[in-house]
Amino acid sequence: MTSKAPTALAVALALAVGGVMPATAQGPIRIGASLSLTGTYAKLGKNQHEGYQLCEKEVNGKGGLLGRKVQFVVYDDQSMPATAVRLYEKLITEDMVDAIMGPYSSPVTEAAVNVTEKYKKVMVAPLAATTSIFKKGRKYIFMVISPAEVYLEGLVDMAAKRGLKTVAVVNEDTLFSKAAASGAVELAKKKGMQVVFTEAYPKGNTDFSALLTKIKAANPDVIAAATYFDDAVALTRQMKELNVNPKMYGVTVGGDLPEFYDTLKQNAEYIYGATQWEHTLPYAGNQEWFESYKKEFAHDPSYHSAAGYAGCLVYAEAAKRANSLDADKVREQLLKLEMRTIFGDYKVDADGFQVAHKMVTFQWQKEKKVTVWPDDLSKGKPLFPTPAWTGR
Amino acid sequence: MAAAILSVLAALAAYPVVGTGYGVRSVQQIFMWIALAGSWNLISGLTGYVSFGHVAFFGAGAYAGAILVASAGWPWPLAALAGGAAAVVLAVVIGYPCLRLKGPYFAIAMLGLNEVLRALVSYFEGLTGGGNGLSLPTLDASVPIYYVMGVLAVVVTAMSWLIVTSRFGLRLMTIREDEVAAEAMGIDTFHHKLAALLLSAVGPGVAGALMARDQGYIEPISVFPLAITVTMIVMALFGGKGTVFGPVLGAAALFVAQEIVWARYPYVHPLLFGAIIVGVVLLMPRGVLGLLQQRYRLPRTI
Amino acid sequence: MLGQVIISGILSGALYAMVALGLGLIFGVMRVINIAHGPLLMLGSYTTYFLYAHFGINPLLTVPIAMAVLFVVGVLLQRGLVFRVVDAPELSSLLLTFGISIMLVNLAQLAFTSDLRAVEYITGSWLVGGLAFSKPRMIAFVFAAAVTALSFLVLKFTRLGKAIRATSQSREVAMVCGVDVGRIHMLTFGFASALAAAGGALLAVIVAIQPEMGGVWTFKSFLVIVLGGAGNYPGALVGGLLLGLVEQVASLFLTTQLSEVVAYVLLVLVLLVRPSGLLGGRQT
Repeated sequence: MTSKAPTALAVALALAVGGVMPATAQGPIRIGASLSLTGTYAKLGKNQHEGYQLCEKEVNGKGGLLGRKVQFVVYDDQSMPATAVRLYEKLITEDMVDAIMGPYSSPVTEAAVNVTEKYKKVMVAPLAATTSIFKKGRKYIFMVISPAEVYLEGLVDMAAKRGLKTVAVVNEDTLFSKAAASGAVELAKKKGMQVVFTEAYPKGNTDFSALLTKIKAANPDVIAAATYFDDAVALTRQMKELNVNPKMYGVTVGGDLPEFYDTLKQNAEYIYGATQWEHTLPYAGNQEWFESYKKEFAHDPSYHSAAGYAGCLVYAEAAKRANSLDADKVREQLLKLEMRTIFGDYKVDADGFQVAHKMVTFQWQKEKKVTVWPDDLSKGKPLFPTPAWTGR
Repeated sequence: MAAAILSVLAALAAYPVVGTGYGVRSVQQIFMWIALAGSWNLISGLTGYVSFGHVAFFGAGAYAGAILVASAGWPWPLAALAGGAAAVVLAVVIGYPCLRLKGPYFAIAMLGLNEVLRALVSYFEGLTGGGNGLSLPTLDASVPIYYVMGVLAVVVTAMSWLIVTSRFGLRLMTIREDEVAAEAMGIDTFHHKLAALLLSAVGPGVAGALMARDQGYIEPISVFPLAITVTMIVMALFGGKGTVFGPVLGAAALFVAQEIVWARYPYVHPLLFGAIIVGVVLLMPRGVLGLLQQRYRLPRTI
Repeated sequence: MLGQVIISGILSGALYAMVALGLGLIFGVMRVINIAHGPLLMLGSYTTYFLYAHFGINPLLTVPIAMAVLFVVGVLLQRGLVFRVVDAPELSSLLLTFGISIMLVNLAQLAFTSDLRAVEYITGSWLVGGLAFSKPRMIAFVFAAAVTALSFLVLKFTRLGKAIRATSQSREVAMVCGVDVGRIHMLTFGFASALAAAGGALLAVIVAIQPEMGGVWTFKSFLVIVLGGAGNYPGALVGGLLLGLVEQVASLFLTTQLSEVVAYVLLVLVLLVRPSGLLGGRQT
């Protein structure tokens, strides 16, 4: 034997021992997700991605999860449910990721959850707001944000408190907006208000003049609009053109974006919006998180960023408490977990449906968003009633 | 030639045993695109009547199949056939008025068709779920659907071959070359075009219903997107419109290319497809297969 | 309510007419169906947006600039790509312009991102009686009407216009009469693109701008051409107004969703009953 043999033997032994030991002890925990990086939801999907990235950074900075580093594996589903389904299959069956995080939007989540349920993988879905997704007897999906139905709750509640009687509800004809609208209608009726007009408009509609003409004829005190961004802008502009003057007017998604004010300028004043999160809310570490996000990504976070971040933290915490990545053990923890992050509170019911998180309603006042509802989180009083367009 | 085809089919039939969930889904998608591109080819490649709204048949089949499974409890294979039937009905309703006219008008009418269907689906929301979409009871049928989709691809291709090698097909192609002359020769162009349209609607209808079952959830925007029409057009053009195996070639090649390019360059995906269309129209109007047919003197009927 | 809706219909109708005129010219002169018409409009909108956002130019002044820019783009497209399919079967021109339209939209997405842009210029309306005349839409109407009228004057009285009309009627005869048909094709495509760009520029202050905004305009322009009669240029005006009115009235009595269906049904009906258009055009 040459002197090389003992070394070779030692190396072989080391490799054998190394091979026998579970490989996972060394490698990072890979978390797979399909996100809307292009397509209709690109802007918000990107924010969610950035939230995931910040979470990854923070968890790794604190020593990782279960002693290992965390690493996100992200694909682009182009905002299409069919693509997300394939990509989640890929992540689970080919890339063999250790954990799953949810995609952007309710429709994509609804399609993707069929895959995760099939393979019994826990999925925290931070950006799915539609109740029905979580009420179909599924076991491994968990909600983080408040459901769509309560987006307009603040507006309706404030209106009822001020004695307003009639409401018009309009919405884009898509999953989320419909849920928000039906929630608003139900709530209004419960508070004794009369719903005088409802109509759904197709996605991508740019001309609301006929719709608003009908609303004007019905003369409601409140207009509640379940919108995204471009329809909220178009609706507002045409309200001004047609001189439609409700005493309160609120929108949903899109109203909270800085671009909303940039585009509408003065015309955005007095408009109410709903958001899952504001950086001014009194949750510990909120302001600091906001600053660090801005530094990292050179733009303000939206609530989608915060939700993504929080969802990932919630998963990590549950895995930590379960001391395992096993789906059933993590699931058990997620069902029990009560946690507060910069995003707000997390607690789910037996279906994985979110019950603790609170949405806030704000109003654009003098170029700023002022949180006006609910009372325990508000920073100011609403400017009521909204003055007529001609009187501004 | 027949032996080659049979061995490929056998390999594909055996694939689910060894493939991953993702792999099975991917090959199933190729089958679907073969069926779609091949069907588009039946009307547009053979008669020259460009259908820009072919995805309407896909969406109609998807909704018909989904409604039958979700609301009426039909077994999905039956619902898939019903999806095909629904698409044919739609083809009749649209074809009757629109095929009486010359090509450009048909194209325009088809262009707007899927937007209209989307609006109708939203309107009849009691039945279709409208903007909420429609959820099917959870069922993992990935492998059976793989096989059914494969059969569909074979059926569509076989149907193409039968048509291209028949006199019916010859008459369709005559319409493409010179419709006025065809009429002068005594060909009933209207009924021929209509027949071609009906045959071209079956494939997408069944495929749509199968996709609905496979995804478990459909909504108007995802089953009526322009992107599906674009992709089936690109695939058929690239492979060779008017040929039998052109769409097969185009579907397989472009799907694989798409999965690779996409993973790296998601943002330029439509640009490449558009460039391919432009390139094919200007440089190789008969597609890859057409080029090969010329170069190597392959039979016209492939 | 009906009065208000009629006004909205007329205001949007003029815009439809102007944009559709461009499409009609391309079809009439070259027998090419330009699916890329909508994306050209979209590029006009972006031109306005950038001139306004980066240079602070008054959006109304950007209209002629957008028209000039897109005129050049149109000429280049025609000279580079489209001229090759002018004699080919219609299938080819349809597919080619379809491919071009996909590329233009994606290029826009790459260059400008899908973020919605908006130009905030004039909002509100003039109130007369109980009726509101939306300011931005009125301005668009005036411009569109002016541009359309100018186009008709050019077509009727200038040498260029006569050459265009001659080529529409019969290319061979025009050639024999000494018209440089190739040049006419180029200029027509450029001119049509300029009309689309004008529409886009005017729209920029009314709707949100995003790369996919053009698609629906292509279809509507076709609808207008069919209504008015292909090859019948003044027919575009009638068709445009009719479409605008039908859409608005349908939205009022039905829902906004169904108004899309109504427009389509109208198309199919007209094609069935009077394929040469309401004013009668040329047989294709």
